Amino acid sequence: MKNRHTAASLLVLALASAGTAARAQNLEYWVYSDFAQGEALALQQEFIKEFQQSHPGVTVNIVGKGDDDLTAGQIAGAASGNLPDIFMNGIGVGAQLADVGALANIHDKWIALPEEVRAQYNAAAVANCAPRPGEMYCIPYTGYGSLLFRNLTVLQEAGIDTATPPKDWAEWLAQMEKVKAAGKFAIPDQALVFNSIAEIYGVTGDVSTWGIDWEKKTTRIDPAVMAAVMQKFVAMKPLTSGTSRNDQATKDLFVTNQLAFHTVGPWVNPTYLEASANSGLKYDFVLMPGETAGKQGGIKNFEIIGVAPGENADLAFEFAAYITAKEQMARWAKLLSRYNSNDAAMADPEVAALPLIAQSAAAVAGAMDVNPPYLIHPVPACYQSTVVDYVSATADGEFTPEEGAAEMIAELNECIAN
Amino acid sequence: MRHTRHHLPHFLMILPFLLLFGAFFLYPILSGFYYSFHDWNGVREPVYVGLENYTKLLGSRDFSRAMWNLFQYIAITVPLGLTVAFGLALLVDSFTGRWANFFRNAYFLPVVLPAFLAATIWRWIYAPNFGLLNMMLGWIGAEPVSFLNDTDTMLYALIAVDVWVSAGFNMVIILAGLKNIPADLYEAARLDGASKLQQVIHITLPMLAPVMFFVLTYSVISAMQVFDKPWLLTGSSFSEYGGRRGALLFPVMDMMGRAFGGVQFGLASAYGFLLTLAIILVTALLYALRSWSNRR
Repeated sequence: MKNRHTAASLLVLALASAGTAARAQNLEYWVYSDFAQGEALALQQEFIKEFQQSHPGVTVNIVGKGDDDLTAGQIAGAASGNLPDIFMNGIGVGAQLADVGALANIHDKWIALPEEVRAQYNAAAVANCAPRPGEMYCIPYTGYGSLLFRNLTVLQEAGIDTATPPKDWAEWLAQMEKVKAAGKFAIPDQALVFNSIAEIYGVTGDVSTWGIDWEKKTTRIDPAVMAAVMQKFVAMKPLTSGTSRNDQATKDLFVTNQLAFHTVGPWVNPTYLEASANSGLKYDFVLMPGETAGKQGGIKNFEIIGVAPGENADLAFEFAAYITAKEQMARWAKLLSRYNSNDAAMADPEVAALPLIAQSAAAVAGAMDVNPPYLIHPVPACYQSTVVDYVSATADGEFTPEEGAAEMIAELNECIAN
Repeated sequence: MRHTRHHLPHFLMILPFLLLFGAFFLYPILSGFYYSFHDWNGVREPVYVGLENYTKLLGSRDFSRAMWNLFQYIAITVPLGLTVAFGLALLVDSFTGRWANFFRNAYFLPVVLPAFLAATIWRWIYAPNFGLLNMMLGWIGAEPVSFLNDTDTMLYALIAVDVWVSAGFNMVIILAGLKNIPADLYEAARLDGASKLQQVIHITLPMLAPVMFFVLTYSVISAMQVFDKPWLLTGSSFSEYGGRRGALLFPVMDMMGRAFGGVQFGLASAYGFLLTLAIILVTALLYALRSWSNRR
């Protein structure tokens, strides 16, 4: 009798466990490493906890990875059938991920969301995720627009009135020349990195002549616009610090009052804020000027959330929609003072009052997409290096701006065609 | 039959190695060779394209640039690295006891340092304006140099890092070779009035020839696969790599960029196969030179 009871108890326990196991679902969530550290991680874990509470039996495991590890892991995961269920990346990598089947088409799930929820997101960023009718491969997540960080001490030492930012390129260049004449560096070498070249292209041109025309298999870069942009690099060459916008040395120069301008995303602000508190750095951030007053330079870029195809796709999409929704994104923005692509969250009065977010939102509104069009085809490895090479060579005096632009465009077309 | 039965335990003992060798070495090489004739993104069905990947690569500007950079790099870093390692080994060998241990460990330290840490240290040393080297240049009134962004200095900046890292490893191997040279040879040479330099030329170098050949071969093979140091020094990513005007672009970097940046695994496989072929050819050439010199 006792044995029969024991057997029955074990059977019930086994069935219960089987039931639990059937309901249990684990989501693997990959993020950039800075999302998995410190207060950002604490907030992500709070989002996860809330989601788990509203979805009993579901666990979400957050994993932080460096930029290249994230991409390599997602591509290798797609090849081996071992993808994380949900993951971040830059939208510029979206085409590679879609090409290898790492991104599920979430169009129907997106359309099924209430209209007022969909309306929360930045419309241009949503459009970038939807390359063709009936296709959508990502939800816009975080993002940035280029800002012009100004070292006020350096500018004042050069006799520049810092009350108003430079209104156009001519005024900005004149300020850079004054800084150099005062014995300081004006700006990092913008010719070293593709994104900083794109920032300067945005000063003169716009998105209509930037990126790739995949139908014609040619670059969209206009030779006349590029020649004018090249001329700017020639003019800036003697004024630069020789460091790239991403180098630690650039930040060191800025913090120690050796560098006047730094065009970059808002992620450098914590460093400058700390220097302001510790060593009295006087700085501000303004919009990058354009060719003429009223036009704006710089680039904008977004990070995306992708959902892997497979049995967890529905739940992963729910989680993606949850963490990118207004309430979560507003909390994210308030904690880190960083822009994200949920416009409704950015319009929250407490968020909109944060100066860095207000400037970032304005920067995004007027800046140029860095790698359009997104999610059509992977950009060939030779594309960005060709742009950087010809701009660098022209700035070095190897070509005239017109020659540099023409040679660059010919080689870009060859790169795309091959 | 009896012969096979006799050797069966031996075959069984090497079986685990053969299985692992086959799974993780032979199979990837052969499958890479297969995919090199296909247009393949790593996931979709591969499409046979014949020699197209090879012709594309051989006609590509970045491939030529990477190969030219590699040639210059090997031509400088291997002889320089060997000379420095040999010099250090002689120096450490001249010490005994605590000092010998201290120098051996000090020179070996860069070998155990993770590549990213070594690159970070050197980025600081090379930093324009604030870097140690530029500070020293400033003391003598010289203009600052942008070591990692000036195309005239970038390759040499990498070679310095490479020699710094590899010298310790090569030194330990050469040191082991030095310890195996019988002391009576030196004693006899001294009695015959040979100077230190003559001892090195006529005893040390000939006796070390097999060790030096190993170090040379290993250095060449390592140099041909150079990746992490230039990647980290130039702050490369899958979409942008090789530094200013591709001055630090090397084949493995380009291969990685084409694989994970451009999702062209067929093309990257062709790259890998060409590089493997080049390594095999160079190694075979080195062995042929060694046998030729032994026969003389």
